[in-house]
Amino acid sequence: MANVTGALVAKSLVLVAKKVEENKDYLCELDGEVGDGDHGVSMTIGMRAVSRAAKALPPQCTPSEAFQSAADAYADEVGATIGPLYEAAFAAAAESVQGKQNLNEISDWAIVYRSMANAIQQLGKAQLGDKTLLDAFFPAVDHIQELSTKGGNLEAALLSTAERALKAAKDTRNLVPQKGRASRLGDRAKGHQDAGATSLAVVLKGFADGIKKG
Amino acid sequence: MVEQMVEGYVAANDHIIKRVGKRSIARANSPIQGKVGIVVGGGSGHLPAFAGYVGKGMADGAAFGNVFASPPAKPVIEATLAVNGGAGVMYTYGNYQGDCINFDKAQDKCREMGIPVQTVVLNDDVLSAPKDQAHKRRGIGGLFLVWHVAGAKAEQMASLDEVVAVTAKANANTRTVGVGLTSCIVPANGKPTFSLPDNEMEIGLGIHGEPGIKRVKVRPIDSVIDEIMEAILADLDYKGTDVALLVNGLGGSPAEELYVVYRRVKQICDANKINIKFKHVGNQVTALEMQGTSVSLMRLDEEMYQLINNTTVDTCMYKKV
Repeated sequence: MANVTGALVAKSLVLVAKKVEENKDYLCELDGEVGDGDHGVSMTIGMRAVSRAAKALPPQCTPSEAFQSAADAYADEVGATIGPLYEAAFAAAAESVQGKQNLNEISDWAIVYRSMANAIQQLGKAQLGDKTLLDAFFPAVDHIQELSTKGGNLEAALLSTAERALKAAKDTRNLVPQKGRASRLGDRAKGHQDAGATSLAVVLKGFADGIKKG
Repeated sequence: MVEQMVEGYVAANDHIIKRVGKRSIARANSPIQGKVGIVVGGGSGHLPAFAGYVGKGMADGAAFGNVFASPPAKPVIEATLAVNGGAGVMYTYGNYQGDCINFDKAQDKCREMGIPVQTVVLNDDVLSAPKDQAHKRRGIGGLFLVWHVAGAKAEQMASLDEVVAVTAKANANTRTVGVGLTSCIVPANGKPTFSLPDNEMEIGLGIHGEPGIKRVKVRPIDSVIDEIMEAILADLDYKGTDVALLVNGLGGSPAEELYVVYRRVKQICDANKINIKFKHVGNQVTALEMQGTSVSLMRLDEEMYQLINNTTVDTCMYKKV
Protein backbone atom coordinates (compact mmCIF):
# COMPACT_ATOMS: atom_id res chain seq x y z
CA MET A 1 0.00 0.00 0.00
CA ALA A 2 1.18 3.47 -0.83
CA ASN A 3 2.68 5.68 1.84
CA VAL A 4 0.86 8.94 1.18
CA THR A 5 3.38 11.56 2.24
CA GLY A 6 3.24 15.27 1.50
CA ALA A 7 5.48 14.60 -1.49
CA LEU A 8 2.97 12.12 -2.87
CA VAL A 9 0.11 14.57 -2.32
CA ALA A 10 2.18 17.14 -4.26
CA LYS A 11 2.80 14.63 -7.06
CA SER A 12 -0.91 13.85 -7.16
CA LEU A 13 -1.73 17.56 -7.48
CA VAL A 14 0.50 17.66 -10.56
CA LEU A 15 -1.46 14.75 -12.02
CA VAL A 16 -4.78 16.40 -11.13
CA ALA A 17 -3.62 19.45 -13.09
CA LYS A 18 -2.70 17.29 -16.08
CA LYS A 19 -6.11 15.59 -16.08
CA VAL A 20 -7.96 18.89 -15.82
CA GLU A 21 -6.02 20.26 -18.78
CA GLU A 22 -6.77 17.12 -20.82
CA ASN A 23 -10.46 17.79 -20.22
CA LYS A 24 -10.27 21.53 -20.92
CA ASP A 25 -12.23 21.55 -24.18
CA TYR A 26 -14.84 19.13 -22.90
CA LEU A 27 -15.44 21.25 -19.79
CA CYS A 28 -15.74 24.42 -21.89
CA GLU A 29 -18.23 22.68 -24.13
CA LEU A 30 -20.41 21.69 -21.19
CA ASP A 31 -20.21 25.22 -19.79
CA GLY A 32 -21.01 26.85 -23.13
CA GLU A 33 -24.39 25.13 -23.31
CA VAL A 34 -25.64 27.11 -20.34
CA GLY A 35 -22.88 29.46 -19.18
CA ASP A 36 -20.13 31.45 -20.82
CA GLY A 37 -18.00 28.54 -21.97
CA ASP A 38 -14.81 29.17 -20.06
CA HIS A 39 -14.94 26.71 -17.17
CA GLY A 40 -12.25 24.47 -18.65
CA VAL A 41 -10.05 27.53 -19.19
CA SER A 42 -10.41 28.83 -15.61
CA MET A 43 -9.79 25.38 -14.15
CA THR A 44 -6.75 24.85 -16.35
CA ILE A 45 -5.22 28.22 -15.45
CA GLY A 46 -5.73 27.50 -11.75
CA MET A 47 -4.43 23.95 -11.84
CA ARG A 48 -1.38 24.95 -13.88
CA ALA A 49 -0.49 27.32 -11.04
CA VAL A 50 -1.15 24.52 -8.54
CA SER A 51 1.11 22.22 -10.54
CA ARG A 52 3.94 24.77 -10.60
CA ALA A 53 3.64 25.35 -6.86
CA ALA A 54 3.51 21.60 -6.12
CA LYS A 55 6.67 20.97 -8.15
CA ALA A 56 8.48 23.66 -6.17
CA LEU A 57 7.70 22.07 -2.78
CA PRO A 58 10.54 20.47 -0.82
CA PRO A 59 10.35 16.63 -0.75
CA GLN A 60 9.92 16.56 3.03
CA CYS A 61 6.79 18.75 2.96
CA THR A 62 3.71 17.62 4.88
CA PRO A 63 0.36 16.83 3.21
CA SER A 64 -1.00 19.97 4.83
CA GLU A 65 1.73 22.10 3.26
CA ALA A 66 1.05 20.56 -0.14
CA PHE A 67 -2.66 21.45 0.06
CA GLN A 68 -1.84 24.94 1.34
CA SER A 69 0.48 25.59 -1.60
CA ALA A 70 -2.42 24.68 -3.92
CA ALA A 71 -4.69 27.12 -2.09
CA ASP A 72 -2.14 29.94 -2.39
CA ALA A 73 -1.57 29.23 -6.08
CA TYR A 74 -5.30 29.41 -6.80
CA ALA A 75 -5.68 32.63 -4.82
CA ASP A 76 -3.17 34.54 -6.92
CA GLU A 77 -3.97 33.25 -10.39
CA VAL A 78 -7.59 32.56 -11.04
CA GLY A 79 -10.31 34.87 -9.82
CA ALA A 80 -13.72 34.00 -11.31
CA THR A 81 -16.01 32.07 -8.98
CA ILE A 82 -14.08 28.88 -9.19
CA GLY A 83 -10.83 30.48 -7.98
CA PRO A 84 -11.96 31.41 -4.47
CA LEU A 85 -13.96 28.19 -4.19
CA TYR A 86 -10.98 25.92 -4.88
CA GLU A 87 -8.71 28.17 -2.86
CA ALA A 88 -11.04 27.78 0.12
CA ALA A 89 -11.32 24.03 -0.51
CA PHE A 90 -7.57 23.44 -0.61
CA ALA A 91 -7.03 25.69 2.42
CA ALA A 92 -9.65 23.68 4.34
CA ALA A 93 -7.98 20.45 3.25
CA ALA A 94 -4.66 21.79 4.56
CA GLU A 95 -6.18 22.70 7.90
CA SER A 96 -8.00 19.36 8.27
CA VAL A 97 -4.79 17.30 8.17
CA GLN A 98 -2.46 19.70 9.94
CA GLY A 99 0.26 17.87 11.90
CA LYS A 100 -0.16 14.63 9.96
CA GLN A 101 2.90 13.21 8.19
CA ASN A 102 0.91 10.93 5.90
CA LEU A 103 -2.65 10.25 4.75
CA ASN A 104 -2.68 6.47 4.53
CA GLU A 105 -6.17 5.78 5.90
CA ILE A 106 -9.44 6.04 4.02
CA SER A 107 -10.70 8.09 6.96
CA ASP A 108 -7.94 10.68 6.32
CA TRP A 109 -9.29 11.25 2.83
CA ALA A 110 -12.87 11.25 4.06
CA ILE A 111 -11.86 14.15 6.32
CA VAL A 112 -10.00 15.93 3.51
CA TYR A 113 -12.88 15.63 1.04
CA ARG A 114 -15.53 16.60 3.57
CA SER A 115 -13.55 19.68 4.65
CA MET A 116 -13.17 20.72 1.01
CA ALA A 117 -16.87 20.29 0.24
CA ASN A 118 -17.93 22.13 3.40
CA ALA A 119 -15.61 25.04 2.64
CA ILE A 120 -17.02 25.33 -0.88
CA GLN A 121 -20.56 25.29 0.45
CA GLN A 122 -19.80 27.90 3.06
CA LEU A 123 -18.34 30.33 0.55
CA GLY A 124 -20.57 29.65 -2.47
CA LYS A 125 -23.75 29.18 -0.39
CA ALA A 126 -25.12 26.53 -2.74
CA GLN A 127 -27.43 23.81 -1.50
CA LEU A 128 -27.54 20.24 -2.65
CA GLY A 129 -29.65 20.15 -5.82
CA ASP A 130 -28.65 23.66 -6.98
CA LYS A 131 -26.73 22.08 -9.87
CA THR A 132 -23.21 22.96 -8.77
CA LEU A 133 -20.05 21.00 -8.14
CA LEU A 134 -21.42 20.13 -4.70
CA ASP A 135 -23.92 17.81 -6.37
CA ALA A 136 -20.97 15.66 -7.34
CA PHE A 137 -18.89 16.32 -4.23
CA PHE A 138 -21.34 15.53 -1.42
CA PRO A 139 -22.36 12.11 -2.78
CA ALA A 140 -18.65 11.33 -3.14
CA VAL A 141 -17.98 12.50 0.43
CA ASP A 142 -20.81 10.33 1.78
CA HIS A 143 -19.45 7.42 -0.22
CA ILE A 144 -15.89 7.65 1.10
CA GLN A 145 -17.19 8.19 4.63
CA GLU A 146 -19.09 4.93 4.37
CA LEU A 147 -16.05 3.14 2.98
CA SER A 148 -13.92 4.47 5.83
CA THR A 149 -16.13 2.70 8.39
CA LYS A 150 -15.65 -0.60 6.56
CA GLY A 151 -11.90 -0.35 6.19
CA GLY A 152 -10.07 -1.72 3.16
CA ASN A 153 -7.69 -0.57 0.51
CA LEU A 154 -7.11 3.21 0.15
CA GLU A 155 -6.38 3.17 -3.59
CA ALA A 156 -9.58 1.25 -4.33
CA ALA A 157 -11.60 3.54 -2.06
CA LEU A 158 -10.31 6.70 -3.78
CA LEU A 159 -11.06 5.25 -7.21
CA SER A 160 -14.57 4.22 -6.31
CA THR A 161 -15.13 7.66 -4.73
CA ALA A 162 -14.06 9.32 -7.98
CA GLU A 163 -16.45 7.06 -9.88
CA ARG A 164 -19.26 8.01 -7.52
CA ALA A 165 -18.52 11.68 -8.19
CA LEU A 166 -18.60 11.12 -11.95
CA LYS A 167 -21.93 9.34 -11.77
CA ALA A 168 -23.35 12.14 -9.64
CA ALA A 169 -21.96 14.72 -12.11
CA LYS A 170 -23.82 12.95 -14.94
CA ASP A 171 -26.98 13.02 -12.84
CA THR A 172 -26.83 16.82 -12.67
CA ARG A 173 -28.51 16.74 -16.10
CA ASN A 174 -31.85 16.54 -14.37
CA LEU A 175 -31.28 19.55 -12.13
CA VAL A 176 -32.29 23.18 -12.61
CA PRO A 177 -29.41 25.54 -11.78
CA GLN A 178 -29.77 27.99 -8.89
CA LYS A 179 -26.27 29.50 -8.82
CA GLY A 180 -23.92 31.23 -11.23
CA ARG A 181 -24.62 32.40 -14.76
CA ALA A 182 -26.57 29.28 -15.72
CA SER A 183 -29.18 30.04 -13.05
CA ARG A 184 -30.54 32.82 -15.25
CA LEU A 185 -31.64 30.20 -17.79
CA GLY A 186 -33.86 28.31 -15.36
CA ASP A 187 -35.56 25.33 -17.00
CA ARG A 188 -33.70 25.92 -20.23
CA ALA A 189 -30.57 24.57 -18.51
CA LYS A 190 -32.25 21.28 -17.72
CA GLY A 191 -30.79 18.37 -19.67
CA HIS A 192 -27.27 19.80 -19.54
CA GLN A 193 -24.56 18.27 -17.39
CA ASP A 194 -22.98 20.72 -14.95
CA ALA A 195 -19.41 21.66 -15.88
CA GLY A 196 -18.29 22.35 -12.30
CA ALA A 197 -19.59 18.99 -11.08
CA THR A 198 -17.79 17.31 -13.96
CA SER A 199 -14.46 19.00 -13.27
CA LEU A 200 -14.77 18.05 -9.59
CA ALA A 201 -15.06 14.42 -10.69
CA VAL A 202 -11.93 14.91 -12.81
CA VAL A 203 -10.09 16.33 -9.78
CA LEU A 204 -11.06 13.36 -7.59
CA LYS A 205 -10.01 10.95 -10.34
CA GLY A 206 -6.68 12.76 -10.50
CA PHE A 207 -6.11 12.24 -6.77
CA ALA A 208 -7.10 8.57 -7.05
CA ASP A 209 -4.75 7.95 -9.96
CA GLY A 210 -1.95 9.96 -8.36
CA ILE A 211 -2.07 8.03 -5.09
CA LYS A 212 -2.34 4.73 -6.95
CA LYS A 213 0.69 5.55 -9.07
CA GLY A 214 2.64 6.26 -5.90
CA MET B 1 -2.96 37.14 -23.28
CA VAL B 2 -4.55 39.37 -20.63
CA GLU B 3 -1.17 40.35 -19.26
CA GLN B 4 0.05 41.37 -22.71
CA MET B 5 -3.14 43.39 -23.14
CA VAL B 6 -2.60 45.15 -19.79
CA GLU B 7 0.98 45.96 -20.76
CA GLY B 8 -0.16 47.58 -24.00
CA TYR B 9 -3.10 49.26 -22.33
CA VAL B 10 -0.95 50.93 -19.70
CA ALA B 11 1.64 52.03 -22.26
CA ALA B 12 -1.03 53.52 -24.52
CA ASN B 13 -2.68 55.43 -21.67
CA ASP B 14 0.33 56.40 -19.58
CA HIS B 15 -0.76 60.06 -19.54
CA ILE B 16 -3.88 59.03 -17.59
CA ILE B 17 -3.06 55.90 -15.64
CA LYS B 18 -0.26 53.98 -13.98
CA ARG B 19 0.11 50.28 -13.39
CA VAL B 20 -0.03 49.34 -9.71
CA GLY B 21 0.17 45.54 -10.03
CA LYS B 22 0.26 42.73 -12.56
CA ARG B 23 -3.48 43.15 -13.17
CA SER B 24 -4.32 46.50 -11.62
CA ILE B 25 -4.22 50.15 -12.64
CA ALA B 26 -4.92 53.53 -11.03
CA ARG B 27 -5.17 57.14 -12.14
CA ALA B 28 -1.69 58.55 -12.64
CA ASN B 29 -2.26 61.24 -10.00
CA SER B 30 -3.74 58.92 -7.38
CA PRO B 31 -4.20 58.87 -4.50
CA ILE B 32 -6.05 62.16 -4.53
CA GLN B 33 -6.15 63.43 -0.94
CA GLY B 34 -9.66 63.75 0.44
CA LYS B 35 -11.38 62.22 -2.58
CA VAL B 36 -13.30 58.96 -2.41
CA GLY B 37 -11.53 56.44 -4.61
CA ILE B 38 -13.74 54.41 -6.95
CA VAL B 39 -12.46 50.96 -7.86
CA VAL B 40 -14.12 49.02 -10.67
CA GLY B 41 -13.32 45.80 -12.42
CA GLY B 42 -14.43 42.51 -13.80
CA GLY B 43 -13.52 40.08 -16.51
CA SER B 44 -11.66 41.21 -19.60
CA GLY B 45 -13.39 41.22 -22.99
CA HIS B 46 -15.72 44.16 -22.30
CA LEU B 47 -13.62 47.23 -23.12
CA PRO B 48 -14.20 50.12 -22.74
CA ALA B 49 -15.81 48.58 -19.63
CA PHE B 50 -14.34 48.47 -17.10
CA ALA B 51 -10.77 49.73 -17.11
CA GLY B 52 -11.57 52.13 -19.95
CA TYR B 53 -13.36 54.37 -17.47
CA VAL B 54 -10.38 55.02 -15.23
CA GLY B 55 -9.59 58.72 -15.33
CA LYS B 56 -11.09 62.04 -14.38
CA GLY B 57 -14.83 62.01 -13.69
CA MET B 58 -15.38 58.25 -13.42
CA ALA B 59 -13.20 55.60 -11.78
CA ASP B 60 -9.89 55.87 -9.94
CA GLY B 61 -8.68 52.30 -10.21
CA ALA B 62 -9.48 49.00 -11.89
CA ALA B 63 -8.65 45.31 -11.66
CA PHE B 64 -8.44 43.10 -14.74
CA GLY B 65 -9.68 39.50 -14.74
CA ASN B 66 -9.13 36.88 -17.40
CA VAL B 67 -11.53 36.99 -20.32
CA PHE B 68 -15.06 36.94 -18.88
CA ALA B 69 -13.77 35.91 -15.45
CA SER B 70 -13.63 38.04 -12.33
CA PRO B 71 -10.20 39.21 -11.15
CA PRO B 72 -8.85 37.61 -7.99
CA ALA B 73 -8.93 39.69 -4.80
CA LYS B 74 -5.25 40.63 -5.09
CA PRO B 75 -5.44 43.20 -7.93
CA VAL B 76 -8.55 44.71 -6.33
CA ILE B 77 -6.56 45.20 -3.13
CA GLU B 78 -3.64 46.71 -5.08
CA ALA B 79 -5.98 49.19 -6.77
CA THR B 80 -7.63 50.03 -3.44
CA LEU B 81 -4.30 50.81 -1.77
CA ALA B 82 -3.28 52.96 -4.74
CA VAL B 83 -6.42 55.13 -4.79
CA ASN B 84 -7.06 55.51 -1.08
CA GLY B 85 -6.71 59.25 -0.39
CA GLY B 86 -8.01 59.06 3.15
CA ALA B 87 -11.72 59.49 2.31
CA GLY B 88 -12.41 55.81 1.74
CA VAL B 89 -12.95 53.67 -1.34
CA MET B 90 -16.09 52.52 -3.14
CA TYR B 91 -16.24 49.31 -5.18
CA THR B 92 -18.82 49.17 -7.92
CA TYR B 93 -19.24 46.31 -10.39
CA GLY B 94 -21.80 44.07 -12.07
CA ASN B 95 -23.68 41.42 -10.15
CA TYR B 96 -21.86 38.16 -10.92
CA GLN B 97 -21.04 35.55 -8.32
CA GLY B 98 -17.31 35.56 -9.08
CA ASP B 99 -17.01 39.35 -8.88
CA CYS B 100 -19.01 39.42 -5.63
CA ILE B 101 -16.83 36.76 -3.97
CA ASN B 102 -13.50 38.27 -5.03
CA PHE B 103 -14.40 41.92 -4.40
CA ASP B 104 -15.91 40.99 -1.02
CA LYS B 105 -12.69 39.24 -0.11
CA ALA B 106 -10.69 42.32 -1.08
CA GLN B 107 -13.10 44.51 0.87
CA ASP B 108 -12.61 42.38 4.01
CA LYS B 109 -8.82 42.54 3.70
CA CYS B 110 -8.77 46.30 3.09
CA ARG B 111 -11.11 46.99 6.00
CA GLU B 112 -8.78 44.94 8.19
CA MET B 113 -6.02 47.32 7.08
CA GLY B 114 -8.17 50.22 8.24
CA ILE B 115 -9.41 51.50 4.87
CA PRO B 116 -13.15 52.25 4.84
CA VAL B 117 -14.56 50.37 1.84
CA GLN B 118 -18.19 50.24 0.68
CA THR B 119 -19.68 48.41 -2.29
CA VAL B 120 -22.50 49.08 -4.73
CA VAL B 121 -23.29 46.05 -6.91
CA LEU B 122 -25.11 46.84 -10.15
CA ASN B 123 -28.09 44.82 -11.41
CA ASP B 124 -29.72 46.58 -14.36
CA ASP B 125 -30.41 43.58 -16.63
CA VAL B 126 -34.21 43.30 -16.64
CA LEU B 127 -34.53 39.92 -18.33
CA SER B 128 -31.93 38.06 -16.26
CA ALA B 129 -34.35 37.52 -13.35
CA PRO B 130 -37.94 38.46 -12.51
CA LYS B 131 -38.62 41.70 -10.69
CA ASP B 132 -39.26 40.05 -7.33
CA GLN B 133 -35.78 38.50 -7.57
CA ALA B 134 -34.03 41.66 -8.71
CA HIS B 135 -31.07 40.89 -6.42
CA LYS B 136 -30.23 38.05 -8.85
CA ARG B 137 -30.14 40.30 -11.90
CA ARG B 138 -26.85 40.81 -13.76
CA GLY B 139 -25.12 44.10 -14.29
CA ILE B 140 -24.67 44.97 -17.98
CA GLY B 141 -24.67 48.19 -20.05
CA GLY B 142 -26.28 50.35 -17.38
CA LEU B 143 -23.00 50.67 -15.50
CA PHE B 144 -21.92 53.24 -18.10
CA LEU B 145 -24.69 55.59 -16.97
CA VAL B 146 -24.43 54.81 -13.25
CA TRP B 147 -20.70 55.49 -13.18
CA HIS B 148 -21.20 58.97 -14.65
CA VAL B 149 -23.20 59.85 -11.56
CA ALA B 150 -20.87 58.04 -9.13
CA GLY B 151 -17.70 59.53 -10.61
CA ALA B 152 -19.12 63.04 -10.71
CA LYS B 153 -20.17 62.88 -7.06
CA ALA B 154 -16.72 61.67 -5.99
CA GLU B 155 -15.12 64.39 -8.09
CA GLN B 156 -17.03 66.98 -5.97
CA MET B 157 -15.19 65.61 -2.93
CA ALA B 158 -18.39 64.18 -1.44
CA SER B 159 -18.09 61.75 1.48
CA LEU B 160 -18.00 57.98 1.03
CA ASP B 161 -21.58 57.66 2.32
CA GLU B 162 -22.78 60.30 -0.12
CA VAL B 163 -21.05 58.69 -3.09
CA VAL B 164 -22.45 55.29 -2.15
CA ALA B 165 -25.97 56.70 -1.73
CA VAL B 166 -26.07 58.41 -5.10
CA THR B 167 -24.57 55.37 -6.85
CA ALA B 168 -27.20 53.10 -5.30
CA LYS B 169 -29.89 55.57 -6.32
CA ALA B 170 -28.59 55.65 -9.89
CA ASN B 171 -28.52 51.85 -10.02
CA ALA B 172 -32.07 51.61 -8.69
CA ASN B 173 -33.24 53.90 -11.49
CA THR B 174 -31.45 52.07 -14.33
CA ARG B 175 -32.74 49.26 -16.54
CA THR B 176 -31.16 47.50 -19.53
CA VAL B 177 -32.20 44.89 -22.09
CA GLY B 178 -29.88 43.36 -24.68
CA VAL B 179 -30.21 41.37 -27.87
CA GLY B 180 -27.54 39.37 -29.67
CA LEU B 181 -27.22 38.19 -33.25
CA THR B 182 -24.06 36.13 -32.87
CA SER B 183 -22.07 34.53 -30.08
CA CYS B 184 -18.42 35.34 -29.46
CA ILE B 185 -15.16 33.41 -29.28
CA VAL B 186 -13.31 33.33 -25.96
CA PRO B 187 -9.65 33.31 -27.11
CA ALA B 188 -8.42 30.67 -24.65
CA ASN B 189 -11.26 28.43 -25.76
CA GLY B 190 -11.08 29.15 -29.48
CA LYS B 191 -14.66 28.30 -30.38
CA PRO B 192 -17.91 30.25 -30.31
CA THR B 193 -19.57 29.90 -26.91
CA PHE B 194 -22.90 28.97 -28.40
CA SER B 195 -24.13 28.56 -31.94
CA LEU B 196 -26.87 30.68 -33.34
CA PRO B 197 -28.31 29.99 -36.78
CA ASP B 198 -28.11 32.93 -39.20
CA ASN B 199 -31.84 33.51 -39.08
CA GLU B 200 -32.19 33.52 -35.29
CA MET B 201 -31.30 35.87 -32.44
CA GLU B 202 -31.13 35.76 -28.64
CA ILE B 203 -33.18 38.17 -26.59
CA GLY B 204 -32.09 39.04 -23.06
CA LEU B 205 -28.54 37.80 -23.36
CA GLY B 206 -25.68 38.97 -21.20
CA ILE B 207 -22.25 40.23 -22.08
CA HIS B 208 -20.32 36.96 -22.00
CA GLY B 209 -21.72 35.11 -24.97
CA GLU B 210 -23.95 33.23 -22.63
CA PRO B 211 -27.41 32.41 -23.94
CA GLY B 212 -30.28 34.81 -23.29
CA ILE B 213 -33.80 34.06 -22.16
CA LYS B 214 -35.26 33.12 -25.50
CA ARG B 215 -34.30 32.49 -29.07
CA VAL B 216 -36.46 33.92 -31.80
CA LYS B 217 -36.39 34.33 -35.58
CA VAL B 218 -34.59 37.42 -36.81
CA ARG B 219 -37.14 40.18 -37.38
CA PRO B 220 -37.07 43.75 -38.66
CA ILE B 221 -35.04 45.87 -36.25
CA ASP B 222 -37.89 48.18 -35.22
CA SER B 223 -39.95 45.29 -33.89
CA VAL B 224 -36.93 44.04 -31.93
CA ILE B 225 -36.39 47.45 -30.37
CA ASP B 226 -40.09 47.64 -29.59
CA GLU B 227 -39.75 44.42 -27.62
CA ILE B 228 -36.64 45.68 -25.79
CA MET B 229 -38.30 48.95 -24.86
CA GLU B 230 -41.49 47.21 -23.82
CA ALA B 231 -39.54 45.07 -21.35
CA ILE B 232 -37.74 48.12 -19.93
CA LEU B 233 -40.83 50.28 -19.62
CA ALA B 234 -42.82 47.46 -18.04
CA ASP B 235 -40.21 47.06 -15.32
CA LEU B 236 -39.91 50.69 -14.21
CA ASP B 237 -42.18 53.63 -14.77
CA TYR B 238 -40.33 55.99 -17.11
CA LYS B 239 -43.38 57.81 -18.46
CA GLY B 240 -43.01 61.56 -18.22
CA THR B 241 -39.55 61.39 -16.61
CA ASP B 242 -36.14 62.77 -17.50
CA VAL B 243 -33.65 60.08 -18.48
CA ALA B 244 -30.07 59.36 -19.44
CA LEU B 245 -29.89 56.88 -22.29
CA LEU B 246 -27.29 54.52 -23.71
CA VAL B 247 -27.60 52.64 -26.97
CA ASN B 248 -24.73 50.23 -26.56
CA GLY B 249 -23.03 48.06 -29.14
CA LEU B 250 -21.81 44.63 -28.03
CA GLY B 251 -18.61 44.93 -30.05
CA GLY B 252 -19.33 43.46 -33.47
CA SER B 253 -22.16 45.62 -34.74
CA PRO B 254 -21.45 48.50 -37.13
CA ALA B 255 -21.97 51.99 -35.70
CA GLU B 256 -24.54 52.57 -38.43
CA GLU B 257 -26.80 49.91 -36.94
CA LEU B 258 -26.67 51.51 -33.53
CA TYR B 259 -28.05 54.75 -34.96
CA VAL B 260 -30.91 52.83 -36.52
CA VAL B 261 -31.55 51.49 -33.02
CA TYR B 262 -31.35 54.99 -31.53
CA ARG B 263 -33.87 56.29 -34.05
CA ARG B 264 -36.49 53.80 -32.89
CA VAL B 265 -35.67 54.24 -29.21
CA LYS B 266 -36.15 58.00 -29.58
CA GLN B 267 -39.55 57.49 -31.26
CA ILE B 268 -40.69 55.28 -28.39
CA CYS B 269 -39.40 57.75 -25.78
CA ASP B 270 -41.23 60.58 -27.51
CA ALA B 271 -44.45 58.60 -27.60
CA ASN B 272 -44.14 57.95 -23.85
CA LYS B 273 -43.15 61.54 -23.01
CA ILE B 274 -39.75 60.36 -21.83
CA ASN B 275 -37.41 63.32 -21.91
CA ILE B 276 -33.89 62.35 -23.02
CA LYS B 277 -31.55 64.73 -21.16
CA PHE B 278 -28.34 62.81 -21.80
CA LYS B 279 -27.60 60.27 -24.51
CA HIS B 280 -24.75 58.22 -25.86
CA VAL B 281 -24.57 55.84 -28.83
CA GLY B 282 -21.56 53.55 -29.13
CA ASN B 283 -19.67 50.43 -28.08
CA GLN B 284 -19.24 50.79 -24.31
CA VAL B 285 -19.96 47.53 -22.52
CA THR B 286 -19.00 44.90 -25.06
CA ALA B 287 -18.67 41.15 -25.33
CA LEU B 288 -15.57 40.76 -27.54
CA GLU B 289 -16.79 40.65 -31.14
CA MET B 290 -20.41 39.80 -30.46
CA GLN B 291 -22.96 41.40 -32.75
CA GLY B 292 -25.88 42.96 -30.99
CA THR B 293 -27.03 45.86 -28.92
CA SER B 294 -28.43 46.80 -25.55
CA VAL B 295 -30.52 49.77 -24.49
CA SER B 296 -30.15 51.31 -21.03
CA LEU B 297 -32.37 53.97 -19.48
CA MET B 298 -31.63 55.76 -16.21
CA ARG B 299 -34.30 57.93 -14.58
CA LEU B 300 -32.82 61.27 -13.53
CA ASP B 301 -33.71 63.44 -10.61
CA GLU B 302 -32.29 66.95 -10.36
CA GLU B 303 -29.17 65.85 -8.43
CA MET B 304 -28.33 63.10 -10.91
CA TYR B 305 -28.97 65.38 -13.87
CA GLN B 306 -26.66 68.07 -12.50
CA LEU B 307 -23.96 65.52 -11.80
CA ILE B 308 -24.07 63.97 -15.24
CA ASN B 309 -24.42 67.30 -17.01
CA ASN B 310 -21.81 69.38 -15.22
CA THR B 311 -18.88 67.00 -14.95
CA THR B 312 -16.08 66.68 -17.43
CA VAL B 313 -15.07 63.09 -18.06
CA ASP B 314 -11.58 62.36 -19.35
CA THR B 315 -10.85 58.65 -19.03
CA CYS B 316 -8.72 56.22 -21.01
CA MET B 317 -11.50 55.27 -23.42
CA TYR B 318 -14.28 57.78 -22.93
CA LYS B 319 -14.40 61.58 -22.90
CA LYS B 320 -17.27 63.96 -22.22
CA VAL B 321 -17.04 67.74 -22.03
